[in-house]
Amino acid sequence: MKVVTGVVGNDIHVVANRLIDLSLQARGFEVFNLGVNTYLEEFFDAVIETGAEVLLISSLNGEAEGWGREVQLLKAKYKKLDDVIMMIGGNLVVGTGNADDIIPRYKGYGFDIVCHQVDLNTGLDSLEVMIKERQLAVGKN
Amino acid sequence: MSLLQEEREIILNNEYVDSFDFAEVAEFVTNASKDLFISHHFKNQKKMLVQPRGGFPTYKKQFALYEFFVDANVDVLPLTIDSNTRLNDYATSKKMLRLSEENDVDMLNGYPLVNHGYRTTRKMITHFNKPVSLRHGTPDARLLIETAIASGIFEIEGGPITYLLPYSKNFPLDKAFLYWKYVERVCANYSKLNEPINRESFGPLTATLVPPSITIVIQLLEMLLSLEEGVKSFSVSFAQQGSMNQDIVTGAVLKKLAKHYAAEINCADAAINLVYHQWMGAFPMNKNYAEQLISISTVIASMVGADKIITKTREEASGIPTKEANAKTVANTQYSLGILNGLPNVVDEEEEEILTLEVKAIMEAVFNDPADTLWRKVFNSIKNGVIDVPFSPHIINHNNMITVRDANKNIRIIKRGNVPIPDRCYAYEKSQCNLTKDTTDIVNDIIHDIGIMQ
Repeated sequence: MKVVTGVVGNDIHVVANRLIDLSLQARGFEVFNLGVNTYLEEFFDAVIETGAEVLLISSLNGEAEGWGREVQLLKAKYKKLDDVIMMIGGNLVVGTGNADDIIPRYKGYGFDIVCHQVDLNTGLDSLEVMIKERQLAVGKN
Repeated sequence: MSLLQEEREIILNNEYVDSFDFAEVAEFVTNASKDLFISHHFKNQKKMLVQPRGGFPTYKKQFALYEFFVDANVDVLPLTIDSNTRLNDYATSKKMLRLSEENDVDMLNGYPLVNHGYRTTRKMITHFNKPVSLRHGTPDARLLIETAIASGIFEIEGGPITYLLPYSKNFPLDKAFLYWKYVERVCANYSKLNEPINRESFGPLTATLVPPSITIVIQLLEMLLSLEEGVKSFSVSFAQQGSMNQDIVTGAVLKKLAKHYAAEINCADAAINLVYHQWMGAFPMNKNYAEQLISISTVIASMVGADKIITKTREEASGIPTKEANAKTVANTQYSLGILNGLPNVVDEEEEEILTLEVKAIMEAVFNDPADTLWRKVFNSIKNGVIDVPFSPHIINHNNMITVRDANKNIRIIKRGNVPIPDRCYAYEKSQCNLTKDTTDIVNDIIHDIGIMQ
C-alpha cells in the first residue's frame, strides 16, 4: 500500500519525518516521503501522481493548524481524493492544547485520523486498524 | 580589474549597503590590532579558548552582552546573525530591527549585521578589542562576510556543506559551493594584509547520530576547499557525541588527517586548529542537570585537546539564553579548565585504526570522482550518496545510512547505504551492536539514542 508523507509548512524538523519513513517501511508500506517544508498542494499532487491510498502529514512546530483550515477547500479542487485516508500527527498546536479539543477540530478540517502528541507506533497502529476496517467494509458491499 | 573584484563591486553595490569603501577597509584590516585576530591568539595562547554563542538585534543589547562576556573573562566573542539575514532577506531584518529598537522587544534571533553596517559595528568590535567569531548559517554569505571583515570580525564560521545540509531543504548545493568559493578568496586576500583571517567549519552538522567518519570527511573537505583558495588558518570542529572514548578517538584522527591532507595539496604551512562544541543535541529541562552536562563537556574537550570550546547554557532547553546565564557559563567553563590538570593520555589504537580506514576510504572515493575540480567531486559525492548525513533535511542527501548507539554510547553504522565504509570496518561497527532487533525496535532505540542527555 502506498503512503505519501512529509512535514507541512515552513517546518524543518526532520528527525520524526525520517523515523516515520522507516517505521512505515518496516510495516510494509511503499513510502513516498516529501520531507520537511512541504506545502498542501505538493501533498495532494503527490497523492494523485503516485496513486497513494494514505496521506500522512506531520508537524512539530504547531503551524499545521493554519494549514489544516485550507484542507477542505483545496481537496475540493482535486478529483479522486475522497477515498484517501487522511492522517495528521505530531504536535498540532502552538503552545499547549487539549487533545479533546484538538481532535474534533482537525476531523472537521477533513482528517480521518488525528494524533496529537501520540507515540509513533500507537499512531501507526491506528492507521492499520482503519485500513482493515475499510477493507472489510468494501468486502461487505 | 579581476573577475573577483568585479563580482565584489556587484555584491557591495546593494541598496542595504551604505557606500562600501574598499580602500578604507583594506587600510583598516592592515592596521587592525593583532588582538582582533583569533589566528594570532591560537598561535600565542597556550590555553583552550572559550567562546559562547549569542546575538541580539540592537546595537545596545549586543554591546551589553559583550560587557557581560568580558566581565566573565571570555576569550572569543560571538556574533550570531538573525535568520532573515541568513536567507538574504535584508528588507525583513531591517523592519524587524526598527521594531526592536522602537519597542524594546527582540524581534530578531540575532544581530542583523548588514543592516547595522560595518561603520557602526566596527566601533563595537574595536572597543572591546577581542577576537569575534561570526556565527550564521548562510548559504550565500558573500555580502555578510564582506561586511563582517570590514567590521573587524576576523573569524568566519561555515562552509558550503556544513551550512547547507543541516539547515535547508532545497537551496541548490552547487550554488552554495560557488558562493563559498568567493568567501574563501576574500578571506585569503585579506589574510595577506595582517594576521590571517581564520575560517572555521561547522562540525556538528545535524547534531543527531552523525557518525565520526562522516563528520571528519566533511571537515577535511571543507578545509581543503578553503586552503586551495589560499586561506592560511582553518579550524576543524566537531560536537560532543555521547561517548568520551569516541570523542577522544575522533579528535585524534581528525587532527592527524587534517595535517595529512593539507600537506597533500602543499598547504602544510596553514595553521589547523581543533574546535569542540559542548553537547549540541537535546538538553535536559532541569537547569542543574544542564550545568552538569556542560561541565562534563568541558572535561571531554580537555581530553580531546581542543584549541577552542564553544559553550552552551543552562537555559538551552528553554530558548534563547539571557545574557546573565550566557556569561555564567563562560565563567564556569574557565573555572573548570583552570582546575583540569594532569589529564591522562588516552589512546585507543583499534578504534583509531578503524576510523582512519573509514575516512580514507570515503576520501578516496571522493577524489576518484571523474569531475575536474574538488568542489564538483564533492558535489557529485553528496549527490550519489558517497557522503550521507543522517537526518539532513536536504533533498540531495540520500538518507540511506542508519546509525545507532552501542552499549558504551558510541555511534555505530548499522546500514551504510552508498557510503564506501570498508567491509572490515562495517563488520566491526555492526559487531558492537545488537542486530537481532526489528525495525520498530531500532526506531525506538534511535528515539532513545537522540535523547540520551535528557
